[in-house]
Formats: sequence, C-alpha cells, structure tokens
Amino acid sequence: MDRDGPQTIRISLDGQAIDAQRGDTVAAALLRAGITTFTRSIKYHRPRGPFCLQGSCGQCLMRIDGAPSLLACRVLAEEGMICQRQNAPLGAEKDIFRAADFLFPEGLDHHHLMTGSRLLGRVALEVARRLAGLGELPDKPRAPVEAELRKARLVIVGAGPAGLAAARAAGDALRAAEGGVLLLEREPRPGGGALLAIDPALPDRDQIAQMALALQGEVMLDSECVGLYANDTALPGNALVAVRQRGRLLLLIAERVLVAVGGASQPLPFAGVDRPGVHAARGLVALPAMVGERLVVVGEGKELVDCARALRRKGYLLERVIALGKSWPAAADLPIEENQPRRALGNPVRALQVGDSRIHCDAVAIAMNPAPLHELASSVGAHARWVAEVGGFPIQVDGEGRTSVPWLFAAGRCAGLGGSAALNSGEAAGRAAGRG
Amino acid sequence: MTADKSIVCACEDVTVHDLEDAVARGYGDIESLKRYTGLGTGPCQGKSCEVAAMRICTSGNKLAPGAQVPFRARPPFAPTAMAEFAGLQAPPPSSEPQPGLRPTWGKGPHPLQPATPLPEKVDVAIIGGGIMGLALAWHLAGEGAGKVLVLERGYLCEGASGRNGGGVRAQWTTPTLIELAKESIAFMGRFAQELGINVWLRKGGYLFLAHDEETLRRIEGSVDLQRKHGLPTRIVTAGEAGEIAPELDTSKFLAASWNPEDGVVFPWPFLWGYAEGARRRGAQVETFTRVTGIETGQGRVRALQTDRGRVAADRIVVACGAWSPQVAKLAGVQLPNVPYRHEIVSSEPLKPFLGPLVTMLGTGLYFSQSMRGEIVGGMGDPQELPGLNQSSSLRFLARYSRALTELVPRLGSVKLLRQWAGCYDVTPDHSPVLGETPGVAGLLQMSGFVGHGFMMAPAVARRMAEWMGGTKDEIFERFALRRFAEGRLEKETFIIG
Repeated sequence: MDRDGPQTIRISLDGQAIDAQRGDTVAAALLRAGITTFTRSIKYHRPRGPFCLQGSCGQCLMRIDGAPSLLACRVLAEEGMICQRQNAPLGAEKDIFRAADFLFPEGLDHHHLMTGSRLLGRVALEVARRLAGLGELPDKPRAPVEAELRKARLVIVGAGPAGLAAARAAGDALRAAEGGVLLLEREPRPGGGALLAIDPALPDRDQIAQMALALQGEVMLDSECVGLYANDTALPGNALVAVRQRGRLLLLIAERVLVAVGGASQPLPFAGVDRPGVHAARGLVALPAMVGERLVVVGEGKELVDCARALRRKGYLLERVIALGKSWPAAADLPIEENQPRRALGNPVRALQVGDSRIHCDAVAIAMNPAPLHELASSVGAHARWVAEVGGFPIQVDGEGRTSVPWLFAAGRCAGLGGSAALNSGEAAGRAAGRG
Repeated sequence: MTADKSIVCACEDVTVHDLEDAVARGYGDIESLKRYTGLGTGPCQGKSCEVAAMRICTSGNKLAPGAQVPFRARPPFAPTAMAEFAGLQAPPPSSEPQPGLRPTWGKGPHPLQPATPLPEKVDVAIIGGGIMGLALAWHLAGEGAGKVLVLERGYLCEGASGRNGGGVRAQWTTPTLIELAKESIAFMGRFAQELGINVWLRKGGYLFLAHDEETLRRIEGSVDLQRKHGLPTRIVTAGEAGEIAPELDTSKFLAASWNPEDGVVFPWPFLWGYAEGARRRGAQVETFTRVTGIETGQGRVRALQTDRGRVAADRIVVACGAWSPQVAKLAGVQLPNVPYRHEIVSSEPLKPFLGPLVTMLGTGLYFSQSMRGEIVGGMGDPQELPGLNQSSSLRFLARYSRALTELVPRLGSVKLLRQWAGCYDVTPDHSPVLGETPGVAGLLQMSGFVGHGFMMAPAVARRMAEWMGGTKDEIFERFALRRFAEGRLEKETFIIG
C-alpha cells in the first residue's frame, strides 16, 4: 500500500462521486459505499452484484475508464476513475428491460420462440439483436503492446501453498540447472488461499512469507497465466505459457509446467442466488470492506465451518449457518443446522427462505468447496473427472502429480488435493517436475 | 422486483429449468448441454456453473460415470485484450504435424454410446451427422427413400458444422455455387417454420475488402457474374464501406464488394433441427457411434461395420467433412481431399455495432458480430500444415488480434473469451466431391466443401436426395470424384478463412 498519498480517493459511478480507500478494488469501494447492483444480466436484465469477489465469476463486469466489461473485483480503484454500469439504458436501479424477467418467468426458450411465423420471427430477431451484448465499444483505440519471450525449465502456475511447496522441492532438484524454476502468481503477493486464514491446516501468513523467502527460483507476482498450449513452434520446449503482466503478455517456452491454480468459489442453484447480496464466503473474507452486519452462511462440510468462523472473526454476526449435508466437523460454537435454502429475497438480499421460515440478514454467504480450476490443464488434454466429494472436476494426477500429459504436473486444490493435502501434493509434484 | 428464477449460469442467464428441459430433449451430455443452453459460454467460461450443472446431471439423469467430465476447456483462461495478444510475435510454427486434442472422456467408445442394437439392414446409411448428413436424411426420409440411418461418432455439433463462424453468403465466383448458396440462404429464412427451431439468420450483408488493385479486379469480375445471377452485389468505395461498417480503418483497403443480402446464422440449431426433423419423418440418427469398416463385394457396397455392430446397407453416403478421406479409405477409395485446421475466436459480448460480416481477401481475416454480441472471427494461416488437428494455438490469437485491431483499432481493449478450431475439407480445385464412386456402386460422396459446406448444405442435400431418387442433376456429374482422374477441375477462388 502506498503510504505517501492520501488514504481516501474519489472515483465515480454513473457520474456520482464515490469515496474509496486506497488499495480497494472498484468492487470493494462500491460495496463500502452501499452500492450492490453492479450490472444487469444479459438476458433477463436481473440485477447483479459481485458474487465471488475473486475474479472468476463475471457478475461484477463494469465499464471502467472507457473499457467495457472489466471485473470490478480485479481492478484497483484509482483517483478519478470513471465507472459505469452496463446493459441498463435508463440506469441500473430502474432498468426498464427487467420486464423480460417477468415476461418469461420460466425462462426464455430462444430456440422455439416465435418459430410459427416468419414475420414474428423477424421481429424477435430485431428485438433480440438490439438487446444483445453487454458493453459498448471501448472509447479509444488501443495499440498492440509488445510482448516479451523467455525460456524456462519449469514454470509453476500459482504461488499458493501447493505452488510454493512445489517450487521449493523443484528448486532443490533444479538448483544447478540453467533456467531453473519460475513461479507465477496472479496476485501482488504469494500465498493464495492461505492468505485468507480460513483453513487452519494451511500455513499461516508468517510461514508463507518464510516459504517465499527461502525459494531458489524466481517469483513473478502480478503475473496471471491466461493460456497454456502444447508448443507448436519451431523453438525447442514442450509448452507455451501466456502470462499477463500489468497489461502486457509474456510468452514463456517451458520444458515442464506445474499447475497449482487452486479453485473457484461456487454458487448454489436456488431461486434468487444470483441476486445482489449473495456472495462467496471466501470473497467476503478477502474483502477489505463489510457488507452489513448479519449474515446467513450456507454451505457444506469443513468448508462451511471454516468459512463461518472466519466470517465471525471478521466481525459478522452469524444469524444462521445452513449445512446442506448431514456431516460437518463438530462446531458447538456455530448456530449450525442441516437444511436446504429455497430462495433469496430482496434486492439486495435481505432474507433467505430456508424450509418454511425466513431468516433476515444483510447478506448471504455461500461456502461450498471451491471447485478445482482444471481449465489450464484440461485445455491441453489433461484428464479431469467429476468427483462429487471434491465438488468439481479435479485434474487426474498420480502420487507425483503427473497428469495424462507427459510434461504437465498438477498439485493442490486444482488436482483435488486442497487443504491439508496441499503442501504434500505440491512437494511431491515439485520434486517430480524438477527431476523431469 | 425480480422473478423467482434459479439461475445456474449467471453470465448467460441459464436456469435450472433450462437445463432440465435440455436433458429431457436428449442434450444431456455436457458438450450438448453447453451448446443447447448456452451454459458456460459467457465471460466466466463455466468456472461458476459447470459444477452446478454436473450436480444436476448426476442427480436426476444418472449420467454414466465415464461421461462425468467437464466440457472441453477453451483458452484463454481469463478474458484478455486483443491489444495484448496483438503484441505477441509468435515464433515460427513447427514443421512437425501436431497431434491434436484427445477425447475428454479418455479411451475407447464414448461413455454415452447407446446400448441398443443398430438395425440389421437399412436402405441408406449416412456416415457423418454434420449438417450435410442430417439435411440429407431429412430430405430422404421425406421422399420415402426407405429406411435411413445416420451415424455420428460424437455429439451433434462435434465436427465442423458446430465449429464454423456462421457466415452465409451468395457471393461466389462460379454459377453453381452462387445458385446453391442462394437456395440455401432462402431456406434458412424459413428454417424455423419448416423445422421448428430458430437459426437466427441475420442479413447484415458481407463486405469483401480488396487491399490491392489485383484483388479489386477480381472482385469486379465476380460482381458482374453475381449480378447476372440476380444478386444485388456491387462494388463500394472504401468510404462507403466505412459507412456500412463504421469502425473500419478505411485507409487499409481500396474498395469492397458488398451484398446486403448475405448474413450470419447461429450454426448449432441447424443440426438439432434437421436431426429432430429427420427423426420425426422416421429416419434414425445415432450419436456416439463410430464406423469401423465398409464391406464391399461384386463392385458395390454391402454393409457398414460399427463399434455397435454390423448394418447392411444398399447405399452408403460419406458425409464426414474433413474425415471423409479416412472413411472412404475403409472402402478402399482414395479421396483427394486434405484436412486443414482453421481457428476461430469469440470475444466478450458487445452491444451491436457491426452489421455485416467483413473479410479481407488478402489475409483471409474475417469477422462478424453474433446475435449474442460477440465478435466471432478467424484467419487462415498460410503456414498451417495439413492434418486433422482441432487444437487451439496462441499463434492464431496473435495473428488474428493484430490483423483485426489494425483494421478496427477500437477493438484493441476488447477481450477474447474463447478460441476453438475445426477442419476445412480441402479439394484440389476448391469444389466439392459429390455423387457416385468409380468402382464401388452405392458408395456416394458428399464432401469437399472447403470450409463453406455449412452454408451450401440445405440446397446440396435437397438436390442430392432428389438425385438419389432418380432425378437427373448435372452437379453430380460435374462434381463427381472421377473428375480428378480425368483432369477436369472446377475452380472456385473466393475461399476465406
């Protein structure tokens, strides 16, 4: 954090001034100011606010400084920043096209809409065409940003606990080798999910800092891997890794890649789950702002218990903790019960209907296991399979983190080995990937 | 006030009800579910809905364990601006052929392959459930051609019919293709009434940009021919083109050929519509079924072997797009077709600003705005090696982004969401292979459309069905396989992508 400048800055939303704290993301600043509707949804113009708050869900897309559909939860607020809500011609609070939500209460079957008449079909086409899309074109052209090219022996994607453990183990194996280990981290600091201090099985912040200091290889922060490809160029190496660093790309040609990108928070498909005021529990833990005082937390198993406790430590009052399954770790300190959420009510959500009763609250937090982010690995052919207990599609690995692609390794939550398994899985995969 | 919907995919507003409806209609495998509902095709690319969708599939539908896999993940992993890809000087491509992608479900037959036996005997067996095969089945079944069976090795839309950019145009350079395209586009306009599903034909026109004098002379010649065939095509100045597509940098080209009647469709519903229509007429369409052999005897076809058993057939149609040479080889027939990968990428959804499909004849760049607002486009690569490769490349994103942002500079900070690839089925004269096979009676060819079969299919299938019913039709002479042995080639020059 920049301690020299003023701590309060000013941004604008649809022309209205908003005070923000330096270091806030746009999403945090808006939530802090009590703004919950960030956009209108693409088809039914339902009000939407940020859900995951960690850059994976796409519910907080906003026009920022003239560029469309940026994730408000990933953009740092800056003095004078101009933010505009999209897809709401007469303003996001009173969007007239929200009528679509009521006209099609069961959902709009676009495949079979107006198929009977050619004329009505044309009308539907013209209407649909005009309503389509989210953002307007950018205000200004943007010229190509020259990218850099580098070689690496081993690229590790993600500096959470598994990635750090992998880098340490691989660094020992690769110490003498040219190129060595390159550890990529999307965030400005290493630690990943461990920084949230939700799961007591993970290293704490001091231990993370020590792990990062002790690394042999190079750590690149603010470096997001946006694509993994089998190397189809004439240059030697197995993989191409496209990395985004502050608005420019770095292309890495790597011998081996180890993905440890963790998981993504998941919503639950009950009525109204998409409304403003329903957030991922992990997102609320990470958020520097509060979204009210009273929460209902809904989720499953250990994740639910860990998240509920972390939210309480943050200062929230837990109205109720709703467990979807029968089993969760003993938690006499929590108002926990087995039940099913039926609908979220209000805009923003002010109550959750559970069974026949309504629990009033300021927001709802959802604490399902983050789903393994298999996409980087599976896009190059690594197998990923549904595992109900994990709650997602972990990348399939052997005991040494080898995937079904010879040069690709995976560790940690993206391989279904999160929490207490993360460090061991990272170490085993790192050692194997370092050996080759 | 907000209605009481249970949203699964917030990016595309897909509800639990939508998913259950798709499963009930037979689109329960994850790839079909994605395409039929739009699940996972928005800015988050499935990271917040795929899990909930699989929970629904595995609880209600008892999806076979082997099919409990994610849909094919497409790069990029996070939305990334074209200006960033455009700055990438991709290293030269390898001279080694690339292996392509492996099935998401692993090895062996698809886990959703039906357990029911195939019929012992049919009158017509069509190999390939792309738009060609399905449209043919619909026409044949409507004309009393007997028992018709379509075999598709994957899900509907798995091949090029599900991977193209949706452009449909009548601007061609040979009379036959102009006529086929005209009839096809007219049929697309009434597809919803004929087959009960919307294909969203939007006639925003096609702009062919000429970047040099030689190309300009080419498009002038083709405009004359197209006008003779009743098309409203005309040459427009760069300035006029800039009015038709206001964001173009008009200094990048000299003039353009413009047909306001061309357009863009949403490709997937054609396959679902033809398949359901064919089934309603009594044809059988079997997915996840692979043909492993073609039995011949006494100079004609006898039967198909599949991974679900043998099917005797009087006539067998090869309609496998880029896979046609592999399949024809099962009958000992050599096709001259060669597969080439072509890549496409889709951007974030933008409010409508671009009416026509725009293509630059020199580079093969083309792009249009879909009904959902995405900029969907591609660009041919002269360095592409032949091969059945459907993997995606970073090189394509770099080349495409650079070419597109040079022509439309305001797209620089627009983000790309999803790239994929399909295979063109390229013949030596860029014209199709249709009709009888010398030496193998009853083996009929329906391939070689060089990346534009989709837009020709409605007319080609109608004429093929009538020709199979005994009506004479010169295109089955002109485009017959034996022309290659006879050295009688038909040259089409307006190939893009």
